[in-house]
Amino acid sequence: MINKIFSILQKDLKIEFSKGHLFFSVILYVVSSIYIVYLSFQPSGLFNLEVWVSILWILILFASISSVSKSFFQESQKRNLYYYFIVSPDELIISKLVYNFLFLSGIVLLTFIIFSFLLGDIIISKNFFVVLLILGSFSISNCLTLISAISYQVENNSLIISVLGFPVILPILLLLIRISKISSIDFSWNLIREDIYLLILLNIILLTLTKLLFNYLWRN
Amino acid sequence: MKYIKIGCVFLLTYTFTAGYLFDVPALPILNETVRALYLHVPMWFTMIFLLLLSSYHSYMFVSKGEELHESKSYNYAHVGVYFGILGLLTGMFWAKYTWGTYWTNDPKLNGSAIGLLIYFGYFILRSSIEDESKKGKISSVYNVFAFSMLIPLIFILPRLTDSLHPGNGGNPGFNVYDMNSQLRLVFYPAVTGFIFLGLWISDLRLKVLKLK
Repeated sequence: MINKIFSILQKDLKIEFSKGHLFFSVILYVVSSIYIVYLSFQPSGLFNLEVWVSILWILILFASISSVSKSFFQESQKRNLYYYFIVSPDELIISKLVYNFLFLSGIVLLTFIIFSFLLGDIIISKNFFVVLLILGSFSISNCLTLISAISYQVENNSLIISVLGFPVILPILLLLIRISKISSIDFSWNLIREDIYLLILLNIILLTLTKLLFNYLWRN
Repeated sequence: MKYIKIGCVFLLTYTFTAGYLFDVPALPILNETVRALYLHVPMWFTMIFLLLLSSYHSYMFVSKGEELHESKSYNYAHVGVYFGILGLLTGMFWAKYTWGTYWTNDPKLNGSAIGLLIYFGYFILRSSIEDESKKGKISSVYNVFAFSMLIPLIFILPRLTDSLHPGNGGNPGFNVYDMNSQLRLVFYPAVTGFIFLGLWISDLRLKVLKLK
């Protein structure tokens, strides 16, 4: 099972590295949206921590919606049929989850770097913030992978994924924004312990449901 | 079903008479608006109950594949959303007289509004798929998935933040009501009555769906 997961993952990564257009198009998307934010806050600049953090997470949300939605669409119909015969749904969804997680953490970290380069570097507890960004991309990918699988089945799918994805991802995003607001100046484990536990709990629920429900979805 | 109907009529008649006539404790700011408890809170209880039934039937449909479960789950979600809208409206009128505004930035209000968005998304998803067999399966999968995120949104997140809403952020909620048996005397029958009403409406809607 693990071998198969790895081989799908390897194939996805190979395609991504050889073509590279998806990653760079998302990066370009991120850079241009950051630039819009940067220009719209001129000339005074963005110094409010709450606004800074919220805009960063909103940008991450939009970037991840557009990148995760591709994870099933980039496959052709025929290849999906081929998968149907050689791998079990569990193997496929786990490899997609890992792939989305890797992809998103790359995007999210780059977004953070470019954002803090252009809009001022106001995060003080950087180490924790990077950990939080990775945790955030893990949660977002867990939440959106099944949604993208659902919207893959629908014909006019580009709109559907945002309609379905935004309300579902909101609890996670609210938690992430709150944790980053509390801990970006001064990191203290006591203040955010409950939120982190809740985030981990939500991830466990999401992963279980994704694995469980994808079985049924894939049988179509 | 027959007992549910009888119970519903009996309990709701009791709620609407006793709810307006019985004494309520005189609390500052709340005053007589505490009676909104009989109408506003049961709406949410009914909504959650119906949505729970809806996601249960969705899960049964994806695992067993019987058409009946699918139409039931759609139906319960539909009626549940009506109750949710009513819950928001009753809450808004109550908020106007106690907080002074229809809408504030309150985690409970936002949570329930987003919860309704989730179900609007479900209806859009369901109506955008042409293929009948696909329609049920995909929308049921989304229903189960979305319900699991609705629970933290409505029940867990508001408890972690400060909130004006009774029962959250140190405001008196059920703990105070628990001491007052006067309110409980109407509140519990009201909850049961409205849940019965929700079941009744869904039953009627299901019959209409079947006839179509």
